[in-house]
Formats: sequence, C-alpha cells, structure tokens
Amino acid sequence: MPSRRWAGAARSLTSPRHGPPLSRREMLAGGIGASALIALPDITRTGGRGDRPAASGHSAGRYVFVYGTLQAASSPGGSVAAAVTPTSRSRSLPAAIPVATSLATAPVLSPDQATVALVTVKDVPGGSKVTLTLIDTASATVAKRGSVTISGLPDGTNILATPVFAPGAAIIPLVLAITVPTGQHLVRKLNPHTGNAVTRSVTTWQSHHALAYFDSATGAFAGPFHLADQPSLALSTAVATARDLFVWTTREPQPDRTAKTHPKPPPLPQLNVYPLGSATPRLSVPALAPWPGGEPVAALPTGDVARLVNGRCLQVCSARTGDVTQLVVPPLNVIRAKPSAVTMQARPDGTLFLTKPGIGRAAVLDPADSFRVTASVSFPEPAAPFGAPWSKAVLSPSGDTLFVLGGAAAGGIAAYDVATGGLTASYSQGQQYAGLYQTPSGTLLAVAAKNPRLAFFSSTLSPLGTADTNLHVSAVF
Amino acid sequence: MAGYDTAGEIQNTYASAHNEFGADPSFWVRYFNPSPAADLFENDPVSESEGAWASGGHYVGCISAPTQSRLSGSAAEGQADAQSFAAALLSAYHAVGPIRLPSNNQLWCFLDQEYSTSLSSAYWNAWAYYIAEYNFDGLGTYPLYPCLYCDPDSPYPNCSTIAGSTGVDVPAAIWSSEPEPCGTLTNNPAWNADSCSAAPTRLWQFGEQGACGYSANVDLDMAAPGYSMTNYCFNVSSNP
Repeated sequence: MPSRRWAGAARSLTSPRHGPPLSRREMLAGGIGASALIALPDITRTGGRGDRPAASGHSAGRYVFVYGTLQAASSPGGSVAAAVTPTSRSRSLPAAIPVATSLATAPVLSPDQATVALVTVKDVPGGSKVTLTLIDTASATVAKRGSVTISGLPDGTNILATPVFAPGAAIIPLVLAITVPTGQHLVRKLNPHTGNAVTRSVTTWQSHHALAYFDSATGAFAGPFHLADQPSLALSTAVATARDLFVWTTREPQPDRTAKTHPKPPPLPQLNVYPLGSATPRLSVPALAPWPGGEPVAALPTGDVARLVNGRCLQVCSARTGDVTQLVVPPLNVIRAKPSAVTMQARPDGTLFLTKPGIGRAAVLDPADSFRVTASVSFPEPAAPFGAPWSKAVLSPSGDTLFVLGGAAAGGIAAYDVATGGLTASYSQGQQYAGLYQTPSGTLLAVAAKNPRLAFFSSTLSPLGTADTNLHVSAVF
Repeated sequence: MAGYDTAGEIQNTYASAHNEFGADPSFWVRYFNPSPAADLFENDPVSESEGAWASGGHYVGCISAPTQSRLSGSAAEGQADAQSFAAALLSAYHAVGPIRLPSNNQLWCFLDQEYSTSLSSAYWNAWAYYIAEYNFDGLGTYPLYPCLYCDPDSPYPNCSTIAGSTGVDVPAAIWSSEPEPCGTLTNNPAWNADSCSAAPTRLWQFGEQGACGYSANVDLDMAAPGYSMTNYCFNVSSNP
C-alpha cells in the first residue's frame, strides 16, 4: 500500500466506511506539530473480576479516540483515524483510517459517551466557517454535521470554538471566542540572542465572545449571537446542564497609567447563565477568582454546576441565584512546589470523582450529601504527574476499584480497593506510562512515551497487547 | 545565588523554605493564569509581594502552566493562553504599586511544558508571537519575552518545535528541568543544565522538591553563568 502523508491542507472528514485504511507505516508517517485523533474499536472482555463493561448499551461497544501530536507531521492541523484493537498479546494493531484534519480544538466526548464532537475552522471570504462534526462513537462515522459562518471578520482572525454537551439535551452550545487584529505597526525590540534592536511589525488584538447552538436532531445551527463583552479574554470556561449554559469570562485589563500610584485589584471573572438556545443571560453575576483557565467543571444532578479551582477548591454555583459556595476538598488540599494534573468527572450515580496525581490522591464526593468525601485513596505519585495526558487514575464503573499509574520508582499500573484504600494488584516491567484510561469494555489503556505507545490491560492488570502509533498522545476520549 | 519556584503562595511558603535552607532566595518564580492546578500570583498579588519582600528575595519571575493537552493544539488555543498570561501579568502589575518591570525591559515569560507533553508548532508560534508583541500597559516598550520551561531530553516535541521559530519568537531562555543533582540555596551544583540546540538554557531547576526530598514547597533554580535571573523578573521594589 502506498504511503500517504498527513498533509498540511485541511482534509474533508472521512469515515472508516468511506476512506481506505491506513497502514501502520502510514500511521507512523507525518511531520512535527500536527495534532490528530485515532479511533480504536473497543474490545469486549469477558471473565474475571472487573472485566464487565464499563458502560452498558451504546457506549460499551464504542470506539476509543486517541488525540495527540503527530511525531513528524508538517501540518499544524488535526486528523482523525481509526484502527482496531488487538485481542491478544501477540497480535499487533491493524490499520488505522484517517477521518479528519485541522482540528481547531481538542475533541469533546458527550456525557453518555455516544458522541465525540470535533470542530474545524476555515477561512471564507469575509469571515470564518466553523464546522461542528459529531462522530458516532459506536461506528466512528459522522452522525451529524453543521456549520455556522461568522461574517465581517478581518483577515487573521482567530476563533477558539468550544462545544459544550448539555446532558440529555439535543442542543449543543458552541462558545466562540473571536479574536481580531485591530492594528499593526512597527516597533523596535531587542533581540536577546544578538543584543541588537530589530524593527518588527506587531499586531494588536481584541477578543469578544459569541454563542451558537447546534441542534443535533436536525443538524441546524442557530446563531452566531455576538455578546457585547469586548474587550474580554478569549479563554472562558463553560459547562451545560439540561436547561442552562454557564459561561465564565473575564474582561481584559486595559492600560492604566494611574495604577502605579493608585493600585487596583485584578478584575473578577463574570458568570453568565444562558437558557439553552438563548444569548440573553438569565443570570449575570461577578464570580470568584480565579479567572477561567482550563479548570475542570461538572454539571450536578441538581442543575447546579461545580468547578475545581487551584487544584483543591470546589466552587459550587447555584443555578437559581448564581451564588457560589466555595469549599476545600480535604484529600486534595495539599500544596507542592509543582502543580499537578487535576481532573473531575461527574459519575452516573451523581457523585464526583476527582484526582490529583501530583500528591497521589483520588477522591469521591457526594454532592447530595454536602459534598461529603465518600472515598479517598492515596497512592505513590507517578513519574510524570503533571504532563499530558492528565488522566492518570480512573475509577471502575462500580466504584470499587481505583486504577492508577504505578509510582515513579516502579512504573507500570496498579489497582486499589476503594473501600479500604489498600493495594490489590500491580503490574510492572519497569515501563513508565504517562496516562491511564479505561475503555467502555473495561479494558485499561496505558499511554507510553515511545512505541509501543498504547498498552492494553485487563481490569485484573493482565497485559492484553500493545500498539504503535505515531501520535504523542495528549488525551483519550 | 539560587532562587525558588513554587505553585503555592509566597507568603505561605517563604518561612518554611527559610527554615529549611537558612538563607534568603535570590528570586521566586510564580504561576500566573492559565495555570488551573496552581495557586495564582494574580489572585492575591499584594500578599504575594509582601511575602517576596519579607523573604529577602523580592524578584518574581513568571510562568504559566496551562492544561497540558492544550500545548498540542491550535494557534487559537496558543494565542488565547498567551493573552490570559499577559493579562494576568498586567493585572498583578496594576495591583501592586511597588512592582516594577526589569530595568533592562526584558521580563521572561515561561510556558510550562512538562516531560510527557507535546508542543505543537501552531500553539507555540501563536503563544510566542502574542507574548512578544504584547504592548504591556500601553508603554510601547514590549517588555515581554517568550521563554520555555521543558525537559530538553524528553522524547516529546519541545526543542524540535521551537527550532522552527525565528527572531524574537525564539525563546529568550530555556528553563531546563533536568538533570536534578539537588543541592541547597547556598550550595549549588556546577552548571550542567540540559539544553536545546535552538535556544540557550538560562535557568536550571537543579533541585525538585519531590526528587530531592525538600520539605518546603519549593524547587531550587539557578541562572546560567553570566546571567542573573533577577534581571528578568518583576521587581517588588519596596514592601507593599
């Protein structure tokens, strides 16, 4: 089969059913700097404790999507491909199939794991076309696709598009940060490497936000609805419930020559709560620091939402009033010199699962019981507790077993009894993994730095097989 | 003389660090937005500056540690992260009267790339351009310089990514996280930081809390021979 390179130009989306498969050699081709996604059909295991599927119905048989940077890609865009998973230790990973390139942002997995959302942005005359594609995780094919065109934008505009799944709703909000160049002029700036001042052209920018709503039933977009919030920072945090879209934004601080004599505190973020489908907030309140910046968020069964800030504090926002209650999460309330990865997931039973591998802790909180800590497990810190992927500890579907990366000294993976906190199993041949996931079938997927980068284990930690990929893996969905 | 970096607040860290190392640091390096897992300097910049002053090390360097998977992403993501970083620096500058820019007008702004993180060229270029071109407080002096914290020998793309940069978008400095021979504030190892070919290593994290068994919530850092990190930090010029 002829080798095909990941090209720099955008590709159209191609499903496994419509595109030819890529050979392993093709998956290993590419250039620096391109992000990509591969889809792996999940395997269904039988037998053994914990080998039951992690999810039932649709998601139990779904593909697993691996997102990362092509090790030798020439394109800065993204790709999607598909492959099958080994069923034995001796069998290698068969072909992968490209699906898309030039992803504008990381994929987002729906709460029910039935859909992965991909966003691409393409320049069109007088504006930009933002396309949201929903991939059916059961087939790795396109389930629905729609586009919204933002017109009246100057050349060079950057659009940060964030799809937000609303649990149980067909409407998918898209939060758009639109950053436009507002001026360009020449300045003199010192080149630190030569010591010489050089003249260069610099660009000034200004951002505002817009909302668009995608109807996953019809494939139609409503919007974009531009928000009058410029100048604001492009970074926002968004989470949706079945009724509302919560969006945290921050006004961009402006030059102020009086500030050195009359200091002023940093601006607080703003929280706006929009009814799904609307661009008019029903609540607009100042929020607590910090500014939105990638902190984990979750929708709660009550309709309230929570965001995990500073790696140890939970801010619970009332859907009714916008009031925020902040509480420290005791198991995570350990500060170290270095930040840690932090994750927070809403579980089907209504609890929250939080991890902070940099201090070797995972915890389960019950929002229905005043966020009581119902479980806390300590484990040795893994070798790379802050680098990507951030998932380094996963909870079994039943909630009784915590799977984690092995400690920095041992490597491998380990399992803990959540009830007792005791180590129940471990496996290591000295391999240090960077990330750990559990697929819907119950299979564990560990991510390594070098090929074979994908290592599969049963939930009893038995090795199932390995696979090569030319992705430096950043996340798995 | 060496300094500290910490994800905790200076005012809650310096006393324990002084008790452990028995000396004043030359500088601190602190986290700014977007750093979702850290305590952020701009959340309480007055108390942080008071802590820096009280510690005897009144120079504050700047780093941003975004969610690491974003570093593999698009130009829009890199630009957005840089925009928030620059805004956080400005808001801290506005909040503390005695905070001054470096006298050489070169404030090193580090992007935190951890060992297992991949840096895409799209993200880095957009991030570096925004930092380098930010008209800080409308001064017209463009004092921000993009820099990269990384492990140069990591198998993930870092040095190879920045190799494609040109001019002032080349990192002004690499801050290397390896090797880690450890040491103390006053007993530093001989300079032996790992390096990229594309940009010089100017700062070295020679002692990491976990690996070196420090009890205080600090890592230890030193500048390259001939360089003083204090020249590239915010200067808390008096006690706020």
